[in-house]
Amino acid sequence: MRRVLFFICVACFASGFSPYEVHAKKTFVKLAGSSTVLPIIVRAAEVFSSHNLDIQVMVNPGGSGVAVKSVGHGLVHIGMMSRDILDSEREGFPKAEFETHVIGRDVIACVISSEIRDAGVTTISKENIKKIYLGEVNNWIDVGGPDREIVAIDKEFHRGTRHVFMQYLFGQSKVKTPGTDLVTGSNNEQYTKVSLSDSAIGMLSYAWLDNDVVGVGIRDGDDVFNPTKSSIEDNSYPIVRDLTLITNGSATSAANQFIQFLLSPSGQRLVAEMGYLPIQ
Amino acid sequence: MTFWLLAGLFIVSSSFTGIILVFLLSGSLPIFTVYGWEFFIGTEWFVGEAYGALPMVYGTIIVTAIALSIAVPLALGTAVITSEVLTQNARYILKSMMELMAGVPGIVYGLLGMVLVAGWVQDLFGLIDGNCLLTAGLLLGIMILPTVMTLSEDAIHAVPNTYREQARALGLHKHEIILYGVLPEAVPGIVGAVLLGMSRAMGETVAVMLVIGSVDKLPTPLYNLFAPAQSIASKLGREAAEAIGVGLHWNALIGLGLILFTMVTTLTWFGERIGWKGRLHRI
Repeated sequence: MRRVLFFICVACFASGFSPYEVHAKKTFVKLAGSSTVLPIIVRAAEVFSSHNLDIQVMVNPGGSGVAVKSVGHGLVHIGMMSRDILDSEREGFPKAEFETHVIGRDVIACVISSEIRDAGVTTISKENIKKIYLGEVNNWIDVGGPDREIVAIDKEFHRGTRHVFMQYLFGQSKVKTPGTDLVTGSNNEQYTKVSLSDSAIGMLSYAWLDNDVVGVGIRDGDDVFNPTKSSIEDNSYPIVRDLTLITNGSATSAANQFIQFLLSPSGQRLVAEMGYLPIQ
Repeated sequence: MTFWLLAGLFIVSSSFTGIILVFLLSGSLPIFTVYGWEFFIGTEWFVGEAYGALPMVYGTIIVTAIALSIAVPLALGTAVITSEVLTQNARYILKSMMELMAGVPGIVYGLLGMVLVAGWVQDLFGLIDGNCLLTAGLLLGIMILPTVMTLSEDAIHAVPNTYREQARALGLHKHEIILYGVLPEAVPGIVGAVLLGMSRAMGETVAVMLVIGSVDKLPTPLYNLFAPAQSIASKLGREAAEAIGVGLHWNALIGLGLILFTMVTTLTWFGERIGWKGRLHRI
């Protein structure tokens, strides 16, 4: 008797109080990809789900390369990209028809540890950043800083931030960087490693900069590009990229609803709120 | 009836190993046909151009060696004291704590390592950065310590009391009883515990990934434990999602998996043999 009561209780608990039971037919929208786009999507998913109770949004980070693969294989509905789809990636999925939806823009800053900025490094020439990653410059003293070795932090090979940053520095995205001391994955990890170090250089989305991880100006000839709000708004900062959502063919209706939400004024407000540039 | 049920369970569980082996072999075949021995001895890994596994294999071996050389003495010392000296209550409390620690997921250790251990190593040795082989090894040592300790304690505790009583009757001191009476009997169990710890250390992904530096290079010089490096598991953790399913990149990663699988299997096999020999020799 007791056992029967117990099972009845469990059954009641499982059905009656489960949020899934109330909206029994939930439609799932799955996303995967760039950790740069991730904060926008997570925030948007919260707001979106509160208005659309029948749709459940599931988000996974992994990097832009993962986005293409996941969408191509049909593992997710929408991929989050912080760079363009490469031709080689399109060739990998000859049957797929990727559709892109730009939802915002982002700026990549060259970042350094705040200790180095405090020691006087506010700008570094593009040439020197290249040399640091190639392993030809190993000490901050060579770029006007303190006598301390440089911890050059790179990102995983397939990360969108790396593609765009290397494209700007070297004119091509797939570059060997023998000067690398550490490799990180997500923006989170990159941010943490730079902030824990006192002599690091790295690349990071503008939205992640703060007092610990500071942007450094890039000198290119006579021009100096500072990753500041004003230089980004007047379009003078050179390392800008689109943040896109990709789908294979046209999106499912739930996925499309989510994309449309991001493109709507309230969705665009969220993009700005998270520190990225809305598209106007 | 019972026999067939058990036989069925046996076949299911052993076929898992078979399936994994077949998956690894078939998945990695293309990389061996294209690169051959280059895959094993190559030192450069650049997606689309070169796939050399040596830095990862080397990183795995070094990290595991550091972990074992830290964890094994600590674990054995603690196990002997816990089993032979402490009271039953104290033993119980200590064991529960250790078993709790053995269940803590790798990511928790990884975060601790990234925020604390890497900083300590950096300050202690005056490095420019604390993400290196030594940090990963230290962290793994801490991680496998509870497993090795609690399992070898079980082995020591399981030695029948007659051994202790007879040794005492012969007039041996406490430490002699432990050293010559109890420990030799527990060797197979201890070896098993160490091997289990070793397998966990070799296969640990995320904790290592966060502190090893993830640079696919052999350290220069080779014995430089302060260099950032890469282990097989951390390499897989970083790149598997991106390479999933197709292409030579994927085959290369599966090839790495096969190497790790072979390493663990071989070492376990050798370990078991040594363990049993040690015991038979004593008897």
